[in-house]
Amino acid sequence: MTISNVMRTQVPGLALLSIGALIAYLISGAVDSLQPLVVSVILGFVIGNLFGIPDIAGPGVNSHKLFLETGIVLLGAAVAIGELISAGPTVLGLIVLTVGGGVLLLEGLARGLFRIDNEMSSLLAAGASICGVSAVVAIGRVLDARGATLTFAAATILIFDAITLVVFPIAGEWLNLSARQFGVWAGVSMFSTGPVAAAGFSHSPEAGQWATVTKLARNSLLGGVAVAYSVVYTTKSRGNVGVSKLWKEFPKFLLGFVLVAVIANSGLLSTTAISLLNQISDVLFALAFVGLGLSIRVREMRRVGSAPIIVVLLHLLVVSVLTLLIIQITL
Amino acid sequence: MTDRTTDGEDTSNPSLVLSYWYNLDRGWQALYLGLLITIIVLIIQFTNLY
Repeated sequence: MTISNVMRTQVPGLALLSIGALIAYLISGAVDSLQPLVVSVILGFVIGNLFGIPDIAGPGVNSHKLFLETGIVLLGAAVAIGELISAGPTVLGLIVLTVGGGVLLLEGLARGLFRIDNEMSSLLAAGASICGVSAVVAIGRVLDARGATLTFAAATILIFDAITLVVFPIAGEWLNLSARQFGVWAGVSMFSTGPVAAAGFSHSPEAGQWATVTKLARNSLLGGVAVAYSVVYTTKSRGNVGVSKLWKEFPKFLLGFVLVAVIANSGLLSTTAISLLNQISDVLFALAFVGLGLSIRVREMRRVGSAPIIVVLLHLLVVSVLTLLIIQITL
Repeated sequence: MTDRTTDGEDTSNPSLVLSYWYNLDRGWQALYLGLLITIIVLIIQFTNLY
């Protein structure tokens, strides 16, 4: 392995990913409400299906998996242990209940009722119960999920991000919820952090703060759920495995996620530095999503069908109604 | 002695760092890369470069 060898094999693919991500950022910057990740995956998908991946770019494009995992490591900087504690015991209990119960509910519905495959069920469960696309990506890497499954799960979550961003503020107004009640409700029921904050602040500044704190606290459970999924899947696929086997199969980048979370919460990093790490993580995700899009073929998407959308809709209805009732009684 | 592949490439002087990197599990690669970026951001913060 020489430097010239690496340059020759990696640079063309990396250039393709970079140009795709750059165009995605330009398009999403020009059109409001378009997220760079969505544009990245669509761009990759269109290019991949129209022209395929040139042989010369193959190895570089394949490095998108490394970008995904590195992006997840840096996502650790977004974990806010302080927010988790400051949310208070009632909200904390509600968060643990919705994440734990939500994962089990969606897994049960998807596998038991709709016969959706295990990988897709777990990705949807993580996305809907923890933190949207970031959770889909993180759990997807833990399970080494196929590109098509990962993209379809992420797309499903993004569809609901758009719908809930419109529906939740209207429902909050209609139900006459207080700022705290609405903020916590959005924080525990909606999927991705951006739409949660946007919905909260569209109600009132106080609701926005509650929504953000609740959502960040919920996001903090990502590491624990990822480790649990890793252990469950390894044990299932290999039978009764020992600690050494578990360690061998354990996705090591999760350790990086925890380490970065510890560094970010130790007070070493300033708010600006944490924000810079989040931006780098977003750029790595954009590069990775171009690569994901490039590796997906239309025929793979057709196999998935509409069942995942119905399952996520059912999950959202159950979780949002139950949490609304609990919030109205306790807050 | 110089090692050459069939297409004439000289492979007698491989980079040890690159060989180590490419033999690593991808999870470890991501962990190291993530930590390296975090350390660089820390250095940037403490030297007021950003």
